Amino acid sequence: MTPAVFLVTLFIAVPVALVLTLTAIWYIWESGNTILYDSFAQKMFSGLENYGLLAIPLFMLTGEMMNEGGMTRRLINAARVFVGGFRGGLAYINLLANMFMAAIIGSATAQIAVMARAMTPEMEREGYDIGFAAATTAAGGLLAPVIPPSMMFVIFGVLAQVPIGDMFLAGILPGLMLAAAFAIVLTIIGIWQGFPKGAWYTSREAIRALLYCLPAVLIPLAIIGGILLGIATPTESAAIASLVAFLIGWLIYRELKPSALFEMFKRTAVNASLIIFMIAAANVFGWVIIYEALPQKLATLITSITDNPFLFLLVVNLVLLAVGMIIDGIAAVILVTPILLPIAMNDYDISAYQFGVVMCLNLVLGLLTPPVGIGLYITASMSGATASAILRSLWPFLIAVAVVLILLSYFPALSTLLI
Amino acid sequence: MIGRFSAIWARLEISVAAALALSISLLILLNVATRSMGAAIFWVDELAIYAMAWMTFLGASAALHYGNSVAITMIKDKLDHRAAFWMAKLVDLIIFVFALFMIWFCWRWYAPLELARQGFDVQAFQGATFNFIYAEPTTTLGIKKVWVWLVMWLFSFGAFLHGLANLIAPPQDRELGAR
Repeated sequence: MTPAVFLVTLFIAVPVALVLTLTAIWYIWESGNTILYDSFAQKMFSGLENYGLLAIPLFMLTGEMMNEGGMTRRLINAARVFVGGFRGGLAYINLLANMFMAAIIGSATAQIAVMARAMTPEMEREGYDIGFAAATTAAGGLLAPVIPPSMMFVIFGVLAQVPIGDMFLAGILPGLMLAAAFAIVLTIIGIWQGFPKGAWYTSREAIRALLYCLPAVLIPLAIIGGILLGIATPTESAAIASLVAFLIGWLIYRELKPSALFEMFKRTAVNASLIIFMIAAANVFGWVIIYEALPQKLATLITSITDNPFLFLLVVNLVLLAVGMIIDGIAAVILVTPILLPIAMNDYDISAYQFGVVMCLNLVLGLLTPPVGIGLYITASMSGATASAILRSLWPFLIAVAVVLILLSYFPALSTLLI
Repeated sequence: MIGRFSAIWARLEISVAAALALSISLLILLNVATRSMGAAIFWVDELAIYAMAWMTFLGASAALHYGNSVAITMIKDKLDHRAAFWMAKLVDLIIFVFALFMIWFCWRWYAPLELARQGFDVQAFQGATFNFIYAEPTTTLGIKKVWVWLVMWLFSFGAFLHGLANLIAPPQDRELGAR
């Protein structure tokens, strides 16, 4: 009955965290192990006693500060300096600005929401097809959870018990590869369809744009530099970044009002608690996974098909694509990691970092694929393009992601080289 | 009446959660500052983690009031208003049952009646129940952990209140298909 309880509650739109707890409650009842109820609440609480999780509210806060502080526009202007004059310049600006943003924001949906509002109307004004403009922005959002910092990597690091700083390092090369793949897609589409011409800034304007953007660049430097040099933990660098973002937005750009702070903390608390609560729920759900020996059972099944790690990862990729279509992003990571990671590590000797990168990138794709694709719907509502128009232009980017996924699955070094 | 109380309670939960989010940032920054000066304060990390746990459970309870939790709405979105309404009611009922379970779990865990029966003598209580909840210390804060865990009661109560309010709310009070 337990699988039925899980599936029914999941599909009638019970909150995912409650699906996990209710499944655990049911399972304990059915297996007669009711002594576990005595420590049920404690087990939920202990799921959160993890220093790494503190990074989640702090990175969310940094994103809030950045949006309110007027940094997005300045980052876009700075991107214009580097690629604005190319044919199709605005499309590349979109991609480059998304890379900058990904080094500050750790969530694809947050980044898509900001960028779709900022970039799509501008691209449309310069003569781009609105569906293509929105698709480019949505694809750019996929960089957020791969280029550090990344909310998904924090969650994966906590679940897999690997250092979150190292997980961030693992994402750097794959993130750059993904950006390069998107740039190639843009170039091919540009040659095929012909993009509107871009315009370079005059040198005066260029210097101005770069100067204005300079303080904002401090934020990714604080985050990635702090972790790379080992000065700060990801949690600490997130706190420093949020402080820097606040000071820049308040004192330098003068767009962030201290009176707006409480609202920002409210939004941070609301959004962070939704995600972190799922971790608490996953901790009791862990009982089901462990007592039922799900990884072992699944491992016997999969190892009978193949003993090749690459083929295993390909199978996993296909399964995750299907999962991602129905369960979005972080919820899927929380659900899948405890089941699949032990198989990958114990039966196939795959590095946790490689597996984490492949899995997170794969599941984030689910944000853009129907029937459940929050990222797709956010892009549509923020940009004014219809979901189907976006999908029509999105598929080349999805193919690019698939190619990157296959490369990441085949070459472990792409994820583990920098650690 | 219950609906109003649920709304006020949710606002309160969010405000406290926001204050806790602020305290997390300040604590971690304090940690960075004191450590760089070579005078790290050892209890800051644990306090920050508990602040996050409180923020999470208060926020999660409020999310049940606002109906903005992460959920798979694929099927519900395809239903007509009437069917979606009844599905939402079923979910409300399930949330309410969940809240009852949580209260029961907290009750079993804290075992207040048994504690009273032992004359609030923790040693005797432990001897009788093998439940060590009242003895467990925090690692660095110098208080008993049972105080920190109290948030599970708050969460269970909040879930109960919001669950009940949603369950008995007349249709016009809730935007159909909002969840």
